[in-house]
Amino acid sequence: MRTKTIAMPRAVADWVPPEWVTSRGVRYGIVGVAAILLLVYPLLSDDRYYQNMIILSLVFAVGATGLNIITGYGGYVSLGQGAFIGLGGYTAAILSTKVGGNPFVWVPAAGVVAGLFAALLGMIAMRARGHTFVILTIVFLFLLQIVSINWRVLTNGTAGLTTPLPTWSVDIANWPFYYALLGLLVLSIAMSWWIRRSKFGMGLVAIREDEDKAETVGVNTPVYKILGFVASTVFVGMAGAVYGYYLSFVDPLGMFNILLSVQIILSVLLGGRGTLWGPVLGAFIVEPLNEFANNSLGGGNVRLLVFGGLMALVVLFMPRGIVPAITEFIEGRRTRGRAGLVGERLGAAIELKKRDVPLARPAISAQMLLEVKNVSKRFGGLQAVDGASFGVPQASITALIGPNGSGKTTLFNLIDGTMSLDRGEVWFDGRQIDRMKPWNRAHAGIGRTFQITRLFREMTVLENVVAPVREFKLRQLGADAVSGHEAERAEQLLDFVGMLKYRDARASALSYGQQKLVELAQVLMLDPKLILLDEPAGGINPTLIERMGEVIKELNSRGKTFLIVEHNMPFVLGLCDPVRVLGRGQLMAQGTPLEIQKDPRVLDAYLGEDFAVEEEPVKA
Amino acid sequence: MTEFVQTLILGLLVGGVYALLASGLTLIFGVMNVINIAHGAFLILAAFITYSIWSATGLDPLAAILITTPAMFVFGWIVYNVTLRRIRTGPAAATVLLTFGLALVVEGLMGITWGNTAHAVTAPYFNESFHLGSLFLPKAQVYGGIIAIAVLAVLWIVLTQTWLGRAIRAAAVNPQGAALVGVNVSGVAAATFAVGVASAGAGGSIVSVLYPFLPGSHYVWISRLLGIIVLGGMGSLPGALIGSLMLGIAETMTVTYISPAWATAVPYALVFVVLLIRPNGILGTRLREDVVT
Repeated sequence: MRTKTIAMPRAVADWVPPEWVTSRGVRYGIVGVAAILLLVYPLLSDDRYYQNMIILSLVFAVGATGLNIITGYGGYVSLGQGAFIGLGGYTAAILSTKVGGNPFVWVPAAGVVAGLFAALLGMIAMRARGHTFVILTIVFLFLLQIVSINWRVLTNGTAGLTTPLPTWSVDIANWPFYYALLGLLVLSIAMSWWIRRSKFGMGLVAIREDEDKAETVGVNTPVYKILGFVASTVFVGMAGAVYGYYLSFVDPLGMFNILLSVQIILSVLLGGRGTLWGPVLGAFIVEPLNEFANNSLGGGNVRLLVFGGLMALVVLFMPRGIVPAITEFIEGRRTRGRAGLVGERLGAAIELKKRDVPLARPAISAQMLLEVKNVSKRFGGLQAVDGASFGVPQASITALIGPNGSGKTTLFNLIDGTMSLDRGEVWFDGRQIDRMKPWNRAHAGIGRTFQITRLFREMTVLENVVAPVREFKLRQLGADAVSGHEAERAEQLLDFVGMLKYRDARASALSYGQQKLVELAQVLMLDPKLILLDEPAGGINPTLIERMGEVIKELNSRGKTFLIVEHNMPFVLGLCDPVRVLGRGQLMAQGTPLEIQKDPRVLDAYLGEDFAVEEEPVKA
Repeated sequence: MTEFVQTLILGLLVGGVYALLASGLTLIFGVMNVINIAHGAFLILAAFITYSIWSATGLDPLAAILITTPAMFVFGWIVYNVTLRRIRTGPAAATVLLTFGLALVVEGLMGITWGNTAHAVTAPYFNESFHLGSLFLPKAQVYGGIIAIAVLAVLWIVLTQTWLGRAIRAAAVNPQGAALVGVNVSGVAAATFAVGVASAGAGGSIVSVLYPFLPGSHYVWISRLLGIIVLGGMGSLPGALIGSLMLGIAETMTVTYISPAWATAVPYALVFVVLLIRPNGILGTRLREDVVT
């Protein structure tokens, strides 16, 4: 993506902040001051114009903080977020007029209704990938609008519903609305903060970064997406109930107006999606802008130009939003001139643990942990895998070799469930798994790395390793991921592969070989019985290859079984036994490394006539 | 029975118009992986241009297609190069938000130019009908449906019989491969977007004759068209055709047998029901994403 930076005045460009100016300090300072101001404002000022502006900003801030969960963390854009304000407003208005009571009493019910609708919509829209969701959110918004116009018995049609009038003193007329919304905003932000730190939040971000990969590390993506969507809407429904009461009137065109959604999205985008405070900041910028466009620029069409133009400009020129831009600016100034950890020489960070006594290899049992039976897969005219059968013995390091295009990676995809097979069966640990979803296979004990590493690029190294989910339990979703037990385990694994020093580095900043090691640690988090490695030694330097071989042997000595695809023959033949050779999508030969090296068919098809392992096999 | 057949034929004619409008949208999605939320705004813009031409010159609004189509082609090409080109390879969410922003801007500009009241173009034949036995078919509907299908046929010929069409389809299937054999993929994307917007131009002229419209009408249109392409299966042209006909028939049937007020709601509900059974739409399959890269 191309972005343009706005030229800065020289004084700003050269500014070096004093020690105490950290992005975190600045953030907490601003948030603290803003919180106090918001808390005391109604007590200090009676200006209804500004009170109204703040109340509306609070509504949008709750909406934006909610939207941020599914859009900022989960990566799924919703254009129907305003519909949940409408749902909440209508729920409270209908219940208080039909059943009775003050609309405030019905605020929790409004949250429940919003959450239920989100769950329903999510169940339909979140089973497919990609754009279906955003489209259905628009359709959902207009469907609700039509229903609220036509279902007169319940909604009184286009005329709308008038809520009961407030019963409290006129002196404090706006206070209950104001503080109720402020309270909801605090709750929303607390939930957002907690989600971002939890295993659940890690899973959402993993989905945003790479949904297929997230599935292979055990993330049950449909459930995460639906729960994330529900979490995005519950407090918004409640805020909608307060909003409707505040307006004292709900009608289809006001409550299900797409411009509510526009304002919420713009707040998230402008402030910084995926950040905790960005959406709140955005809401407090966009609502005053909205008032300005309405009162000073003539509203209506000009407001559309302002909103639409701003949305296009933010997407094109400031795609990450204000908060990340400021954070980067401050941190960039602060650390200028210091070498980054990532640029450090690799050997310094990774110390090879030398062993005096070689590791004992566990006895390879005759029992097969994984069995591939007569598996086939076709892509259009290409028969990638054609009736392949082989087994991976328990506690072995089995190699899968063969010429390019012989179907090795496709077989991996069929074993871990990234692709579904056309024919055949896959058995793992006594169970048939070929119809299971990728995350269930991960929970069963299959971990897999990719030929070209697929870390979650925007996450830190630690977050990458914490993201995998060993088993699906609601309680586990809530577990704290960035401190406590999970993080401790992740740190141990990072230490084991020699990458602990990089725990807070962004994954995209690592070298390719480093990414391979982190990806291995990530897979180990699953505590898998079988680890599939796709070219672990491909494209990395000899030091790292040696390190990789050591790590594999060490894990194997602790009972892990490996299936390795690799072209580096000294590495394979020194490490693996038995070896399976694939040719044209079928098993062509198998046996010990020695047998394979002498097999005329393998020499002919893959290794070449003059093949001989001249180098010493990798030793650890 | 007559009523049923008449409703069915009207549904097919309406569906034909939807098909033309949806095909541009699904074409842009299929080739560029861009959901053009501004598609509805573009078609309303074409309807307003038709209105201005018609009220200034008295030209038959359906003949105005010959002007709106190339005009919208040029407009689409410019819009692509000024805005979308910058983020074509960026995250998909960005293009959705960008085109949504564009839709709002176009809506605001239309409101400033033509006002926010409902407009209608009344062709000379607007209240005439064809009588076929006991069937009673409004001429405007018949002309509109037939012309839409004719334009769709031209679009089909362009896609299957010309070099540009082959380049577009190649870029849709495999952008890297297309680039390797000498297709300028970025140029093809611009052309595809322009062709898609041009089809909205032709469709907008037809819409101006069949329905009253105002700047805010684009929301109804875009949600209907998006519903169609989700229903048919994202990116599939035959799917868009099937989805259009289904929605057209569902709408006219609702008007005849339930209530005109619910005519727009029932098809939306249909979209949800179909997706409940087939999450990826009628002709949609989950796209095979390359697992390696």
